[in-house]
Amino acid sequence: MAPIVKVSNLDKYFSLLHVLKDVSIEIQPREVVCLIGRSGSGKSTLLRCINFLEDPSRGTIEVDGIQVQVKNGTTREHRPQIHEIRLKTGMVFQEFNLFPHMTVLENVIEGPVTVKGMNRQEAVALGEENLDSVGMLFKKDEYPNRLSGGQKQRVAIARALTMQPRVMLFDEPTSALDPELIGEVLNVMKKVAKDGMTMLVVTHEMGFAREVADRVLVMADGEIVEAAKPETLFSKPKDPRTKALIDRYRTGGG
Amino acid sequence: MSTATQSEKGTGKTHVEMLHEAQLRKARDFRRNVSLSWGILFLILVYMFSGQSFLGLNTIQLDFDFIRKNLSFIAGGLGQTLLVSFLSITLATILALLAALGRLSKFPPFYALSTFYVSLIRGTPLYLQIFFFFLALPQVGIVLTGLIAGVIALGLNYGAYMSEIFRAGLESVGRGQREAAVALGMTPMQTMQRVILPQALRFAIPPIGNDFIAMTKDSALVSATGFVHEVMWRAIRVGRSQFKGLEALVMAALFYWVMTIILTYFQGIIEARLAKGDR
Repeated sequence: MAPIVKVSNLDKYFSLLHVLKDVSIEIQPREVVCLIGRSGSGKSTLLRCINFLEDPSRGTIEVDGIQVQVKNGTTREHRPQIHEIRLKTGMVFQEFNLFPHMTVLENVIEGPVTVKGMNRQEAVALGEENLDSVGMLFKKDEYPNRLSGGQKQRVAIARALTMQPRVMLFDEPTSALDPELIGEVLNVMKKVAKDGMTMLVVTHEMGFAREVADRVLVMADGEIVEAAKPETLFSKPKDPRTKALIDRYRTGGG
Repeated sequence: MSTATQSEKGTGKTHVEMLHEAQLRKARDFRRNVSLSWGILFLILVYMFSGQSFLGLNTIQLDFDFIRKNLSFIAGGLGQTLLVSFLSITLATILALLAALGRLSKFPPFYALSTFYVSLIRGTPLYLQIFFFFLALPQVGIVLTGLIAGVIALGLNYGAYMSEIFRAGLESVGRGQREAAVALGMTPMQTMQRVILPQALRFAIPPIGNDFIAMTKDSALVSATGFVHEVMWRAIRVGRSQFKGLEALVMAALFYWVMTIILTYFQGIIEARLAKGDR
């Protein structure tokens, strides 16, 4: 099967700092991949390069057949392809980033209506369906500031899903949440995975990675140092950095 | 106030409730005492213009006959004052928004245009700017009416100062908002229109209101052109012609003051509504 996401020889510099070093990954359709690593290892940057929230310095990104090859840090000439890629990827942020001046439902239908030109009724129907599936339909007319962090993140997931993406990107979706609210978000993510969505998840939730991921990638110092099925990775980590990471979570109560 | 602790005994209220009520009472007392003091200060002010003599101190004698006769004439300028202010604030708001966008632009000419405009306008007096449009431009063949010259000058001037409001408003919208919009596939234009501007405007409305109130008073400077018959122009005109500058200016001052109080009241309502809203 052809991979739905293919990152080849990706380099990223922040000024002189080399944060991604010749990274290549492939994700198969319907695969759930968790990306773990210490903070500063480059995992969020890698995720954000896939939908060009960060411009890669060099390398090739391919999502569902749309390919963008960056040679010297400029993406200007690839704007139409980048737009295509953004339509094919849904993004969930650590800080939710719901639009505070729109109700929950308006947040969810904003993308389809404004970006895709979908008619409103259709968008509302789709949006309500997705809000229902994350258990947030009952708050559809509330403004985001009336919601808990967990509720906000579930709405954010519904917002991304309503764009009907091929791939969902999650950037530490539970890191800004109070511990008691993490579970509800992880449960929604499990459901999305079960429904067959392709997912790339940057996370510190080892339990989630172990339970849901088909494959776990470990990043350190801007490189993928290990990639394996979770049962293998967590029981027999090969790289010492993976081992250190797993031990740290085990002892750190994570 | 010593009455604060007197009544609660035996009412079955908890300690916390009593503390809460005491706090509310304190706030209420404070507000009442402030109002009372305002009243007293106002009465003193009125007394100073009453013409009465007290302990050998004479207060100011006003010619109430003159006031009665000219009240409606000066009040007739309120419409012009509000018109000038309204047109100017509209122009200023548009200019301020453009200047703020320029100030945040990465396109050098646009950035330069914005900072150049703000620097030039803030570096010269408003009074000069009004005369510039009214008296200086005719020399190069551009003749503007007093009203238009005044509105352009006030609009340009306030726009330069207000650009900071919009800049702050635009900057108050977090980076994550832009990223969320971009991730959904919005173009820079859509991101600005649908996500950034609505939030920035909400942030900017209260200070715009403040500037509108300030504008109603600075609009008095337009009277200097001699062709805009707003409150100040009328006061000066009747005051000069009948040597009753004192009465005329006291009347004009009262009009401005009352207008400001009324506008501030509405401003407060708008602000409260925005604060209660959805942020």
